Amino acid sequence: MEYIVGVDIGNSTTEVAIGKVDKEKENIDFISDGIYKTTGLKGTIDNIEGILNSLNSALNKVDLGYDDLALIRLNEATPVIGDLAMETITETVITESTMIGHDPWTPGGIGLGVGVTTLINDIDDCKAGEDVILIIPGSVDFADAANIINQAKERGVNVNGAVAQKDDAVLIVNRLDETIPVIDEVKYIDRIPLAKKAAVEVARPGGTIDKLSNPYGIATIFELDSEDTKHIFPVARSLIGNRSAVVIRTPEGDIEERKIPAGEIVIIGDRGKSEIGIDSGADEIMDSLEKIHPIEDVQGQPGTNVGGMLDRVKATMSKVTDQPLQDIRIKDILAVNTFVPKEVKGGLAEEYAMENAVGLAAMVKTSQLPMRKIADKLEEETNVKVEIAGVEANMAILGALTTPGTDKPFVILDMGGGSTDAAMVTTKDTIYTTHLAGAGDMTSLLINTELGLGDIKLAELIKKNPLAKVESVFHIRHEDGSVNFFDEPLAPKLFGRVIILSDNDKIPIPTDHSLDKIRQVRRDAKNDVFVRNSIRALKRIIPTGNIRDIDFVVMVGGSAIDFEIPTMISNRLSEYGVVAGRGNIRGVMGPRNAVATGLVLSYLETEGSVIDE
Amino acid sequence: MQLNEDAIRQIVVDVVSGMTKEGGNSASTSTSTAGSGNMTMKELGLAEEGKSSDEVVIGLPPAFGKELSKTMTEQDHADVLREVMAGIEEEGIKARVVKNYVTADVGFMGHKAAQLSGSGIGIGLQSKGTILIHQKDLNPLSNLELFPQAPLIDLETFRQIGKNAARYAKGENPDPVPTRNDQMARPKYQAIAAVLYNKEVQYLDQNKKIVDVEVTFGK
Repeated sequence: MEYIVGVDIGNSTTEVAIGKVDKEKENIDFISDGIYKTTGLKGTIDNIEGILNSLNSALNKVDLGYDDLALIRLNEATPVIGDLAMETITETVITESTMIGHDPWTPGGIGLGVGVTTLINDIDDCKAGEDVILIIPGSVDFADAANIINQAKERGVNVNGAVAQKDDAVLIVNRLDETIPVIDEVKYIDRIPLAKKAAVEVARPGGTIDKLSNPYGIATIFELDSEDTKHIFPVARSLIGNRSAVVIRTPEGDIEERKIPAGEIVIIGDRGKSEIGIDSGADEIMDSLEKIHPIEDVQGQPGTNVGGMLDRVKATMSKVTDQPLQDIRIKDILAVNTFVPKEVKGGLAEEYAMENAVGLAAMVKTSQLPMRKIADKLEEETNVKVEIAGVEANMAILGALTTPGTDKPFVILDMGGGSTDAAMVTTKDTIYTTHLAGAGDMTSLLINTELGLGDIKLAELIKKNPLAKVESVFHIRHEDGSVNFFDEPLAPKLFGRVIILSDNDKIPIPTDHSLDKIRQVRRDAKNDVFVRNSIRALKRIIPTGNIRDIDFVVMVGGSAIDFEIPTMISNRLSEYGVVAGRGNIRGVMGPRNAVATGLVLSYLETEGSVIDE
Repeated sequence: MQLNEDAIRQIVVDVVSGMTKEGGNSASTSTSTAGSGNMTMKELGLAEEGKSSDEVVIGLPPAFGKELSKTMTEQDHADVLREVMAGIEEEGIKARVVKNYVTADVGFMGHKAAQLSGSGIGIGLQSKGTILIHQKDLNPLSNLELFPQAPLIDLETFRQIGKNAARYAKGENPDPVPTRNDQMARPKYQAIAAVLYNKEVQYLDQNKKIVDVEVTFGK
């Protein structure tokens, strides 16, 4: 009887399993396990600290020491690392005519007003009967502004609307004898052209404007011909959904959505090569990738961001493995369309537009990682014999097969932080594997940029946990609509906020986004990365290319612990009649510890052959 | 402010003179209408719990805009209160002002205002300029947003505080108002803050409880 240890060094965690092996009876009892975050980049000597921490915690649980161990089995880690980049591919530029993205929180009044832009200090020069849109700089107090408007109206000047610099719209309108639409918070009010025809529209609360968001509405107001109406169409389109808007008619006024040249990538495959611009969007990139698959290498245009990113991944891998840079190849990329809030160029009110962007994950593969160095160092530290045992995919399959209710042929989806790996085992024990770019880290990046958080840790928390809205000091409403009451008052910093429900903690999200919006972004990001990657992986490793030809898919790895990713994938795969679910290693470990378990189990077995795609 | 011996002596003189004045003051009946700058405050009857959920109640101490008329950074009480009320109004919420004769503590004043408020959101504002946003179900010594460094709050911030209180009342989740932090604010203003608070509490009158106040601005 002897104690055997399996150690699995993953991209983000190092896992350990300890088994008691009875050779005669060919029986293995698992007595303990450990987990610790991977220290340093996977496959480097820095990993030792993480291994020892993980091993010690496993040994402590059962009161054993290094002396009691007979053998440590280390996995031959797949030499795969990933990296991420984000490229904005559009920009919105406006010249004078409008405040397109500007949707102040509290515009004042209601209706549509048309007139000539006039500074409030020059109102005395206006004659009775003139139609005026007043421009009110921040130096004018709201009560004074209201007085001036009231007096001008008494004189017969038609003040039909106003634009204010400070957040004063409701205050001004509340002090008027007659309601007019007022738009506020226009920061660069001095840039509004004067003595030009302008229209101001404010919709009722909860409503959206309908005149200025309609090209023919604008044409009616400004008496445009068909040629000019074509020209004004982007303005109308960009105002759709706003509660308020200003359009000013200037001869050269325009708005355009430009494409930013973001560089090209060159995908080189067995069957030829394809050059594609990042600015053509994620769908086209993925299409050409599938056409050329299998891929030899991906290169980025030198001097562009995407070129720099791809070079960086290769350089890191070259350093880790001591292989020349030109031998390092990018084997997969995942491109995802997303949106990034960016300030509009030429805007008068610091308005933002959601610009298109492409998120890119890349996966690099080399011939091997220097595992022997780690093994030697570990042997030195523990005085236990260490052997490098078997390919990661085999071990993962052995481990995953301990999930109750599974049988060959089946597929495991290993969803980690940096890459999504898949392996398939047939009834004849032939194993196929594939490694795809894009996993948990990519999801966090998408959430971070699309919500404009600027805080990747917060994005990680949003990714991993459900949301709730604090509706009073004593109750919260969960994202599914159910309510939870508390006897003790909640912390004041949570009041009114959308919060993250992590284990025992409630973390407020310091943004204006509604719960629904955050939830939608979170689910879209997971869908774009994990659901798409699972389909991509299955199509690649199933020899027939037909997902219907397999029965079981077992999800393992850190991202399989997620509260919704497994169900999202299950739902999608059920369309193909596949039984898919989160693994439960040895019936107790959940989706964790598959490889470590496999390493211990394989001690008694001979390994099958592996066919890497 | 340099805290030398002279300054301390001056403060002590201030406090003592304030105390003696108290004796004289209690004899005279307080007028129902008083003003500071362009502001007139008319005390109405006993404040009751609000029924409408579209109000935010601002709780003031007795001397606000009356015996005292400026914060410790010499901001006119009229301007301060006007900005807070404007912030609330801009969000489409009504501002109701009460005077609290029971306590001048900013936390308890704000909490009491929140309890009187139909929305459950209240503001406590001391004469020296310290302000907080409170919610009725919270512990009095807790709060939604506290601005302890009164000397660093400008009129724009007072407007923002009013806005945020109104947005809490609407059930929204506003970003807390950003505040500046100055290590020197405390040593610099501690003495004057103590003096002002000391003056403030002299005008408390437990019999008058909490009264509604009608505020009108000259502008």
